[in-house]
Amino acid sequence: MVTDSTADLPDEWRDRYGIEVVPLKVLFGSETFRDRVDMTDEEFFKRLATSATLPTTSAPSPGEFAEVFRRLARTYDACISIHIGEQLSATAGAARVGAEAVGGFPVNVIDSQTVSMPIAFLCRVAAECKTLAQATAAVERRVSRCRVLALLDTLRYVEMGGRVSRATAMIGTMLDLKPLLLVVDRQIKSVDRVRTRSRAIRRMVEFLRSELPVEYVAVMHAEARDEAETIAAGLRQELPGQDVPVGGIGCVLGTHTGPKALGLVYLRR
Amino acid sequence: MAFNRPSTVDGPLFKRALLGSLSWLAANQEEVNRLNVFPVPDGDTGTNMLLTLQSAVEDIKDSNAAEVSKIAKLASHGSLMGARGNSGVILSQIFRGFARAVEGKASLTPPELAAAFVEAANAAYRAVNKPTEGTILTVVREAGRAAAAAAIGPDASVPGVMAAAAAGAGAAVLRTPSQLQILREAGVVDAGGFGLQIILEGMLKTVEDAELTLAAIRDAKPKAAQMALELPEGGWGYCTEFLIEGTGLDMELIRSQIEALGNSVLVVGEPELVKVHVHTDDPTRVITLAGGHGRLLKLNVGDMSTQHKRILDSATSAANATPRANGVGLVAVVAGRGLVDIFRGLGVDIIVEGGQTMNPSTQDMLTAVESVPYEEVVLLPNNGNVILAAKQVAGLTKKRVHQVETRSVPQGVAAVVAFSPERSAADNVAAMRKEAERVQTIEVTHAVRDTRSNGLKVHKGDVIGLINEKLEFTGTDYAEVVNKALGKLGPDSYELVTVYRGEDASDDELARLESAIRSSYPTLEVEVQQGGQQHYPFILSVE
Repeated sequence: MVTDSTADLPDEWRDRYGIEVVPLKVLFGSETFRDRVDMTDEEFFKRLATSATLPTTSAPSPGEFAEVFRRLARTYDACISIHIGEQLSATAGAARVGAEAVGGFPVNVIDSQTVSMPIAFLCRVAAECKTLAQATAAVERRVSRCRVLALLDTLRYVEMGGRVSRATAMIGTMLDLKPLLLVVDRQIKSVDRVRTRSRAIRRMVEFLRSELPVEYVAVMHAEARDEAETIAAGLRQELPGQDVPVGGIGCVLGTHTGPKALGLVYLRR
Repeated sequence: MAFNRPSTVDGPLFKRALLGSLSWLAANQEEVNRLNVFPVPDGDTGTNMLLTLQSAVEDIKDSNAAEVSKIAKLASHGSLMGARGNSGVILSQIFRGFARAVEGKASLTPPELAAAFVEAANAAYRAVNKPTEGTILTVVREAGRAAAAAAIGPDASVPGVMAAAAAGAGAAVLRTPSQLQILREAGVVDAGGFGLQIILEGMLKTVEDAELTLAAIRDAKPKAAQMALELPEGGWGYCTEFLIEGTGLDMELIRSQIEALGNSVLVVGEPELVKVHVHTDDPTRVITLAGGHGRLLKLNVGDMSTQHKRILDSATSAANATPRANGVGLVAVVAGRGLVDIFRGLGVDIIVEGGQTMNPSTQDMLTAVESVPYEEVVLLPNNGNVILAAKQVAGLTKKRVHQVETRSVPQGVAAVVAFSPERSAADNVAAMRKEAERVQTIEVTHAVRDTRSNGLKVHKGDVIGLINEKLEFTGTDYAEVVNKALGKLGPDSYELVTVYRGEDASDDELARLESAIRSSYPTLEVEVQQGGQQHYPFILSVE
């Protein structure tokens, strides 16, 4: 099993299932950091707050993927490699090219069409399957059910990264509006824009209610753990029997969300 | 994967394919815009192609014609009527060539479909005086060639021909930087060509009923490309477009006359209706000249230097030109520079200037509604005195007009904020009403005469405070009156106060007001906006 660092895969799952995580990169000017390898999330957001220029991000190279696949080929017969949506990053493409470079080792590269912990959920689904074919089918069936509902504290970061424009989010420059964005169908849609953070959080939960039932759900945050924990506690009450993990947003994704972002990520049933 | 793969293209299938291409282009419009560096880096190729395609689809969406020829003819006519920009005009010629090729046919076999693509490419080349390789022209030709190759043999299928056309277009797009230096320098592929690829992919998606995986050209470096192109001396001139309606129009003559006055000249159409597009430094002469040939329709002159500058500034601009997914437009009545900017920034398409003492006429609002490029429009009066005039608008237009009876600027802002381009008009109106009702409005001003209202005695010159249009407090000072009003509303039920500062409010008065609110109600968040409205030094939104 291979994924990339934007899956926000909890360390515990990585160790339990033996999942390889290929890091994307964050660039502060000419300095390059591998996501969660050369830089922790805490270090990243600290630097983001003080950096004069905004960082940029880049996908792993095909060569880096080839290296990983080559190493896995010594132990395994085949591999499933699940990655951040191709509408957002060139990572899956790099994985595909990397896999071609390693002859005789079948690699099923899957474009998850999404980002963050839904990819980790897909990895877990795959890891619990017995065969490559079963894993691939189980994951592919779920790709279109992945959703990321994000509350950004500001549109500044995602706008600089070019993934969302103020025009599509219908966010002007005057009022301090909190955009609610949904990653769905290979797009980033503007679901709502709300004046205050507390209302935006309520709106997020309302939106999730309209999407029930869900197979998996998690609460993601960038430097907003307390709020994330509160939301998760509420959801656990509302959805008995549902494990609602809280996860941190990594450096690469954090470059585009900025600090204080919150996310409700889930797989519809 | 798909069941019932179509063996021929009939009217309904072609109609669906066009609708599919429209939504796919809409989804990718910004991407196309960002690639736009040739012939003018005004970053609107995607928008222009989309508007052209929309116009083509406009005419077919109500047709149930079974014959492909009828749908193609409608699309051809509609796209010519609505063609905008270089790429849009060429796109209209592609439709025209296609329509010509399928004339009289009820449905198309795979070879007939391929032949229509080839003829569409030929028509596009004929429309342009000096064809440039590495543009949409090259891409349409390569799409045609690929389609023709895929149509040979007994196994040829409609999805196969479509897929070949889309793939041929994609491959041609990737080669455009090697054919056109400006693209190579900018590090992008051709925007118009890419737009055509998107259209073909959209058709294929519909025909195949399957998801597409798209090539990795999405990582072209658009922003750098726009920045890199300096404004030439003398500017880019004016993009001038119009239709000439007449009889026996001589296209060759018109083209040669127009060519003397500018570049990027396109003159296309029929002897009864000719579309002209030119980049010129002297639009007046062009218009005068063209007016000699017939009646001018849909005249549009754009300053391209400004367009180019707007792209460079776009980090700060909230463009309203993006067609919305739900097809619902927004019109708002508002006055005051800052407020106009705020409503624009939130996505209002057209602002009708007016408000408390400058009530706009029904005609003013009707004109605005008619000018919005959507068939459904939400109208926000934003003032109690405007609501009645606004109500009349719905009966005077073919468009569906929904009024959200906003009675104040804060209600208007709350309503617009609640608008989502992903929801239907009806759902939006419900959400907008709900939000508008949730917001409390405080307005402060001076009494213009002695009066008695709501049990209060008011002297001329007193500061008066209104809550939701009702006079509630008088005093001598803005801060004092606002604090009383907030106290009456009960600050514990609210989180955010937005202060819209009027034209007549001084810095000092604003500072005193702000600090009074913060010290009396520390739990409230306070945001100050420059409203620039007349008559009310302060309007407050409490939510």
